Amino acid sequence: MVVFVTARAAPLFSSQGLSWLGSGGDVDTQIGAMANGATHVQVHLWPLIYGSLLTTALAIVLALAISLLTAIFIVDLAPARVRSLMLPVIRLLASVPSVIYGLIGILVLVPFVGNDLISAGQKESVINVIQLTGAGLLVSVVILTVMVTPIITALTVEALASVPRSWHEGAVALGLNPVRATITVSLRAIRPAIVAATALAAARALGEAIVIDMVSGGKSFSPNPADGLIFIYEPLRTMASTIIDQGENLSVPAVRSTVYALALLLMVSGLVLSLASRLIRRSFRRYELSS
Amino acid sequence: MRRRRHLTAALVVIAALTAVPVAIAATTTISMSGATSSFPLIELLASKYSKLKNNSVRFKIAQGGASVGIADAAAGRVSIGNSSRAPQTGDPSGLYFYPIAKYFVCIVTNSSNTLSNLTAPQAQQIFTGKVRNWSQVPGATATGSIDVYSRTSVAGVLTTFQNTLLGNSKVGSFATQEPSEGLMQNAVKKDASGIGFLSDYFALAKGLNAVGYAGTGCSVANVVSGTYPGVSDFYEVTKGPASGQNQAFIYWIQSSATAKKIIESNWIPLGKIQPVVKSH
Repeated sequence: MVVFVTARAAPLFSSQGLSWLGSGGDVDTQIGAMANGATHVQVHLWPLIYGSLLTTALAIVLALAISLLTAIFIVDLAPARVRSLMLPVIRLLASVPSVIYGLIGILVLVPFVGNDLISAGQKESVINVIQLTGAGLLVSVVILTVMVTPIITALTVEALASVPRSWHEGAVALGLNPVRATITVSLRAIRPAIVAATALAAARALGEAIVIDMVSGGKSFSPNPADGLIFIYEPLRTMASTIIDQGENLSVPAVRSTVYALALLLMVSGLVLSLASRLIRRSFRRYELSS
Repeated sequence: MRRRRHLTAALVVIAALTAVPVAIAATTTISMSGATSSFPLIELLASKYSKLKNNSVRFKIAQGGASVGIADAAAGRVSIGNSSRAPQTGDPSGLYFYPIAKYFVCIVTNSSNTLSNLTAPQAQQIFTGKVRNWSQVPGATATGSIDVYSRTSVAGVLTTFQNTLLGNSKVGSFATQEPSEGLMQNAVKKDASGIGFLSDYFALAKGLNAVGYAGTGCSVANVVSGTYPGVSDFYEVTKGPASGQNQAFIYWIQSSATAKKIIESNWIPLGKIQPVVKSH
C-alpha cells in the first residue's frame, strides 16, 4: 500500500521537492487550476495539514478531559443502576456511523452557530477574506469530540477496572478520599492504556473525511488564533476531507499526485501516532500492571 | 429414508445455486455516476425503463458531480456517465456526449430574502466578491454580509452558471463550496443571508427564492421562449459510441414519448434530437 501510494505521489515530489508541505497562496485556487488543466501549478498544502492537526488536537484535548472525568464518575461515583445504563450507551455511541454525526452537524449545529452565535459584526470584520457561515472550526471540533469521547471513555473504564482493587483500597486506607485515590493511583497506573486510547482516537479523528467535509466550511483557510473569538468560527479544510473532495478529479495527473501525497501524509501520521504512543508507553513501563 | 431426504435436499440446493447465476446473467446492470443535478431525472428515467423491460435491465446510479461521471466513464468504472456540461479541454478524449434534456440554472436566495431580480453586472459583482453586503443590492430584504455559496470544481452546474450567467468570470475564492446540489440547497435554505445557484429541479423547490436574471424570471416558460439565458444540456457520456444496452437506453430517452413525458415534468425536452458531441 505504501509503495502504491508513494509511486503515485512521486510526481509531486519531483516537480516541487518538499515545498508543497509549506504555505503560500490559496489551496482551493491551486487545486482548482490543476483540475481545469493548468500546467506547472505550484501547490502549497500547509493549510490542509494545519487544519487536520488543529481539529484533531483540539478534539483530543476536549475528549480527554470529558472522557477521564466520565470514566472516574462511572467507576467511583455512579450508583450501580446508572453505571449499568451508561456503559452500554457509551459503547453504542462509539459505534454510530460517522455520517449520522455529519447530518446532525449540517442540519442542526451549523445553522445554530451561523444564525444564533455569529454576529453580523463578526461576519463584517472578515468579509473580504472568508465567510463565517457557521460551518467551521467550532462545529468540526464539537463533532469530532463527540465521536471520539466514547472510545476513550470505554477503554479507560475497562482499564480502570483492571487495576488491582488493593491499590485503591490502600490509598483510601492512607486517608485519601476515593476520587482522589482513583486519580492519583489508578489513573496513573493505567497511563499506558490512556495513551493507547488517545492514539486510537487521534487516528479516528485524523481520518474522518466525510463528516468534516460537510461541516468544516468548504473553504481552505488557516484559522488564526490571533483573530480572537472569530478563530473558532473560521472555515478550514483537512487533509482527509480534501481527498474526498478531489477524489473525483483523479483523472487529472497533477491532482492525482497531490491527492496521493495527502494520502501518504495521512499514512505516515498514523505510523507516527503509533510509534509515539509506543515510546510514551515505554516511559511508563515502571507503572505497568503485572499480568 | 433419511439418506433419500439428504439427497433430495442436496439436489434442491444445487439446483438453486445454479439457478442464481443463470438468473443474474439474464439481467443486465447499467452502472452510472456523475452529475447531482441530473440525478433526479436519471432516477425517474431508469426506474421507468426497468419497469418497461420487466426488470431485465437494472441500474446502479451513483453521483459525485459531472466531472466524476466523465472520468468514471472514461476509466470504464461505469457504463454511462451523467454530465450536466458539454465536454471541455482537460476531459479524457474518445468520449461521446449524448444530449438528453435541457435544464436551467437559477440564482437562489433564502425564502426570507425576496430579491426578485439581479442584473448581469450585479450578479457578477456579488459572486466575484466586489459587492459583499446586502445593503448594496437593491431589492434585497436580507441584511448584513452576503454569504455566497458555490459548488466544488467537479460540478457541471458551476460551469454552466459561470458561462451563462456570470459572463465567463469565475466565482470568487472566498465562496463556500458545497459538494452537491442537495447540500447547496440545504445551505441556502438554512442561511438567511445566503445566495447560491441551483439547477431548476432543486431551485424551484419550497423554501428557496428563485431570483430573476436581467429582468427575466427563472422559469420553464422563459427558457422555452428563449428569453432566459442560463440554459444547458444534460448529457449521457459513454466511452466510444454507445453500444448494446447502453445504446438502447440512451436511444429510448432520446426518442420515446414516455421518456419525453418524464422529462417534461420538471425539465425541458430537446427540440429535436441534437447531434452527439465528442470530446477531443
